[in-house]
Amino acid sequence: MRALEKQRNILDFTLSSLGRRKGKNIALVLVYTFVIFLLASVLFFSHSLKKEAALILQDAPAMTVQKLVAGRQDLIPTHYIDSIRQIKGVQSVAPRLWGYYYDALSGANYTLMVNADLNDRAGEIVIGNGVSWRSAAGKRNQPLRKNEIIPFKTYDGSALSLKVSGLLPFASELVTADLILVSETDFRKIFSIATGQATDLVLQVRNAKELPVIATKITQIHPDTRPILREEILRTYDAVFDWRSGVIIMVLAGVFLAFIILAWDKATGLSAEEKREIGILKATGWETTDILLMKFWEGAAVSLMAFFMGIFLAYLHIFLASSILFAPVLKGWSVLYPHFRLTPYISGYQIATLFFLTVIPYTVATIVPSWRSATIDPDSVMRM
Amino acid sequence: MHTFRVIIVLLLMVSLPMTGKAAPVTAAKADKCPVCGMFVAKYPDFLAQVIFADGSHVLFDGAKDMFKYYLNIKKYQAAKDLSDIAFIYVMDYYSMTPIDGRKAWYVIGSDVFGPMGRELMPFVQKADAAEFMKDHFGKKLIRFDEVTPDLIKGLD
Repeated sequence: MRALEKQRNILDFTLSSLGRRKGKNIALVLVYTFVIFLLASVLFFSHSLKKEAALILQDAPAMTVQKLVAGRQDLIPTHYIDSIRQIKGVQSVAPRLWGYYYDALSGANYTLMVNADLNDRAGEIVIGNGVSWRSAAGKRNQPLRKNEIIPFKTYDGSALSLKVSGLLPFASELVTADLILVSETDFRKIFSIATGQATDLVLQVRNAKELPVIATKITQIHPDTRPILREEILRTYDAVFDWRSGVIIMVLAGVFLAFIILAWDKATGLSAEEKREIGILKATGWETTDILLMKFWEGAAVSLMAFFMGIFLAYLHIFLASSILFAPVLKGWSVLYPHFRLTPYISGYQIATLFFLTVIPYTVATIVPSWRSATIDPDSVMRM
Repeated sequence: MHTFRVIIVLLLMVSLPMTGKAAPVTAAKADKCPVCGMFVAKYPDFLAQVIFADGSHVLFDGAKDMFKYYLNIKKYQAAKDLSDIAFIYVMDYYSMTPIDGRKAWYVIGSDVFGPMGRELMPFVQKADAAEFMKDHFGKKLIRFDEVTPDLIKGLD
């Protein structure tokens, strides 16, 4: 109990001593907070992106088969389905129709995808949130609503007006923002794609161990195709997001270096004033351990305060303010994402990583020089 | 969820002797293979099951352990006899559904390994088994009755 009381007294003294050098300490906390804010933002952002991608891909087909022409993806004939279905272990094969549509009116790229639910309701579309804002040209302060019409220009030059019959849910805005679901007839009309052709084929395979064998067999039967496994897509996403957060971390490295110099300077070189303080404390009967304790509390107070403020600000920045600072680097090429928000996702692992990268080294760095000056004779310190 | 499962198992136990038909079960978290002692729920792809006429069942993490048990049942469960066994289920490799173990085709010597190493891979159709043998370098295609203790020993 007495030990606890002693800690409390020392902490009390530390805080009032910090208050005495207000300007310097506030500046330090601000810079510190800023660095943690940036680091935490990068961590949160890239993790949420990866999480979002994983969320989407968990329902992705086990294997996608594309046709290649001169190394580029081309439409795949749907009669390939029959031969692929014969392969042992393949549960089902289904054609998919999807593509990108550039809307000259709004200057945005939409992703068009055929949805079987719409097949008997030709002329209707279901749109994502971003599309509803973009297409409402003219009355920009309000999104498109049900039963309004989006005009499309088909690839043979004629016009096709499709009625909005619903909006997509917000579950994952990053993916659904630019998405438009259309019926098969309308899709073929817009892009002039003949029946008997599809964008790609998706396979369901019950036994994941068979995937490589099935992929090999497909390339043997149809040498002009490329099977893509779900794991490969996941790996690509991971690499892309890692690369992008890598770009930001490179930029941040400069900031971090500046912080290290600041922290090092502040922590290792005690100012004459602080040295005198230590001298006086020793002269009034403080022991070296008490002084070290005081310095430990000082470092902990400064870094913890900055740590929590930085994390809090980063959370606001990423999940509430649409990551304004990083948006240009981390998002794709599409112009459709002004409002997109990530689903908040933070793990204890991330917080712990940040904590051990910043708070712990700083606190430790403040103790060493104090120990050095605390062991000198108080008389000589005070004379300096 | 757990109580739900218990109820289902109890219901099965009560109803099975009456109907005389045993549906395949799914492995619970605590189920262990009586031959090797491993938890079977981790390897649903290789699950093999022996279901007794009294409704009780034992689960295995592969057809190999199931055969070890079947061929030497007195060692593992002295009170039971081969005639007490109502059904044997193994997992069809391609469809991953439980199939009748006594009618299944088994491929040995392939390059597909189970949780207990070299396995007998079960198939519902001969054509499937033949295709698998070609793809995975299987050495021999056998029926249930052809499995002997010596053959199992050769797999270990």
